[in-house]
Amino acid sequence: MEAALDTSQIVKFAKLDDLLALSRANSLWPLTFGLACCAIEMMAAGGPRFDISRFGAEVFRPSPRQADVMIVAGTVNRKMAPAVKTLYDQMLEPKWVIAMGNCAISGGPFVFPGQYAVVEGVDKLFPVDVFIPGCPPRPEALLEGIMALEEKLTGKRRWPVVKPPQ
Amino acid sequence: MTSPADSAVRPGVNETFVLNLGPQHPAAHGVLRVKMTMDGEYVMRAEPVIGYIHRMHEKMGENRTWAQFLPNTGRIDYLSALHYNHAYVAAVERALKIEVPRRAEFLRVITSEMNRISSHLVWWSAYLIDLGGLTPLLYAFDDREKLLDLLEAVTGSRLTYTYFRFGGVYNDVDEAFLRGTRQFVREFRPRLKMYRDLVTDNIILRKRLENIGPISAEQCRKYGATGPVIRGSGVAYDVRRAEPYSVYPELDFEIPTRPEGDSMARYLVHMAELEQSLRIIEQGLDRLPDGPVLGKVPRVLRPPAGDYCFAVEAARGRFMVRLVSDGKDIPYRVKLRTPSFSNLSLFEETSRGMILPDALALMGSLDLVIPDIDR
Amino acid sequence: MNPTLDQLCEQFGRLVGTVPVPSKPPVPTASSSVGPALGLPVAASGEGRVAGPASESGAGLRPADQAAKMAAHPPPAPTGPIQKTDHAAKGYDLDVTVAPTQIVMAAEIMDRAGFGLDAITGVDWLAQEQMEVVYDYFHPTAPGRVAVRTRVPRARPEVPTIAAVFPGANWHERETHDFFGLVFAGHPDLSPFLLPEDATFHPLRKDYQP
Repeated sequence: MEAALDTSQIVKFAKLDDLLALSRANSLWPLTFGLACCAIEMMAAGGPRFDISRFGAEVFRPSPRQADVMIVAGTVNRKMAPAVKTLYDQMLEPKWVIAMGNCAISGGPFVFPGQYAVVEGVDKLFPVDVFIPGCPPRPEALLEGIMALEEKLTGKRRWPVVKPPQ
Repeated sequence: MTSPADSAVRPGVNETFVLNLGPQHPAAHGVLRVKMTMDGEYVMRAEPVIGYIHRMHEKMGENRTWAQFLPNTGRIDYLSALHYNHAYVAAVERALKIEVPRRAEFLRVITSEMNRISSHLVWWSAYLIDLGGLTPLLYAFDDREKLLDLLEAVTGSRLTYTYFRFGGVYNDVDEAFLRGTRQFVREFRPRLKMYRDLVTDNIILRKRLENIGPISAEQCRKYGATGPVIRGSGVAYDVRRAEPYSVYPELDFEIPTRPEGDSMARYLVHMAELEQSLRIIEQGLDRLPDGPVLGKVPRVLRPPAGDYCFAVEAARGRFMVRLVSDGKDIPYRVKLRTPSFSNLSLFEETSRGMILPDALALMGSLDLVIPDIDR
Repeated sequence: MNPTLDQLCEQFGRLVGTVPVPSKPPVPTASSSVGPALGLPVAASGEGRVAGPASESGAGLRPADQAAKMAAHPPPAPTGPIQKTDHAAKGYDLDVTVAPTQIVMAAEIMDRAGFGLDAITGVDWLAQEQMEVVYDYFHPTAPGRVAVRTRVPRARPEVPTIAAVFPGANWHERETHDFFGLVFAGHPDLSPFLLPEDATFHPLRKDYQP
């Protein structure tokens, strides 16, 4: 009869949910949904300096059927709103939404008394997981938003929030 | 190769269908929708549908004071925001007869040309992605980040600048900016050579763009197309020479023009403009005078009643602001004449009979920014 | 003034039936102006109100009520149908005022002279119950910027289309219709352009309520 091996060093047990959450968080595939100015900062985040690929999210998919996360980067118009909603509906579960920029959060600088064209925040159309303020937010802010989404999925941050020196 | 006329071979068979491109599409450069009536791969009629990013800039012009409208100008065409700043502040300066100090004018020109380079780099990256080359984006955005670092140190923003003020610019530049800009100019010229070797002389690009989408100078005039579109059709029209403004009359630069009128011509005009912008920046740095950067501006802005225009050569073409004032501190009407609107208007006529990838090559060569169309 | 603009002055002069006005014209009064005889806008500098081409000057409010109604200072009325302006002060070289029925001929004059269409601007003069349409033209190879303007009554804002002369006007007129409700007679398709397809409002009108 063999003694029970101590397998704790080579075998790890985890809940399947946690594994799935970790793999989803580390391979978020965004939908190419740049509407306006924030789209350029999203492209810069995919560029070589900020490199969203480090976090597994460089595979921008044009088709909503293949995307996990919709990064709404730009102003949502009343004319565009049905298209945005259709895209959201076409995405498969599990899906998440990042509202990037002030326009996607609340209509941004285009809200004024008598405004007739802008939807004041994309969360009026569907639920949003992460809000990234800025006009436009820096690419680092978008990366922080991706970190926040990962934290929402897995419960743990990839690395701690950087605290400014006292 | 088959052509649309081959439908004569199949008489009585009408097989056109409507293909919807956008408003979400990787090659649409924003939220542009094009309803294409197709005969197989051939575009019979391409009808652009716009308005999906209409952000009411002209209405906001009537709801904001003259100064409060300034941040809007950076968002109309966010890639060349400084040019749009320029047209608006210069129109109000024209109305109020405000003097701009020479140092401020030179700073305006230097930063505007840097903005033109960063805008053309984004155009270049996006155009190559449309054509299927995903790599140039990585090189161009690397260069662009250097530019953005310099501009951010001076203006505070990376993209949607609101740097110009009535009477000048709001922040002076320091030694680090001047040194950094000269270093950028030094480092960018070899990169231009690399872009030429890697992309412009690439046989695949040449086959994709040569003789594709010919636009005649007469079409440009009829539709009001300006910028690289009209310069790629052989007409040396540049607002910096036609209606000289700021200190451009003192600077020595060429207007790159190509006679062919095809997409390759527009591409080459864009690339040649990068070199010309570098020349302008160098001359601006050499001649930058000392002095204040903000002139005397009345405390409350009330331009005399009347209408005033100012046009600039933005990265995409002629941008003109027409202000109608009724003597109050809020504009009566702000009309924004944007280059992408006029440039896209000739797409319907010029894309007839092309196959879809060529039509997209034509559309990309027009250098569109959709919020510029919709305002 | 370069030769092109001088030729334009002459051609416009023949179109509107007056001689070109030098840059410092005398200020006309309502009674002495040539405008009403030709159906052109009258430069009535005292009242600050410009009558539309088809309307009688008496229709509407009395001058006192008119002045009271106007919260805005109107711009100085053009002192003649054809005015040479200072580019450094205004941004254009020639300012031409024509009747709405003469818009197409004015566009043809500009087309023959080799100008391109720059912009079509609508302005809603609510207080004067008129809408103004300004056509800006630029020349690709010669200096010179021309603005051609016309006014229509707000109750019947109709202007003939110039899309046959300048195909680029098709989009500009469609946009102006979207914003103001100006009807461009003869336009192939005035459906909403920048606004949603089912929009029925015209947001840049001064009396627009969302």
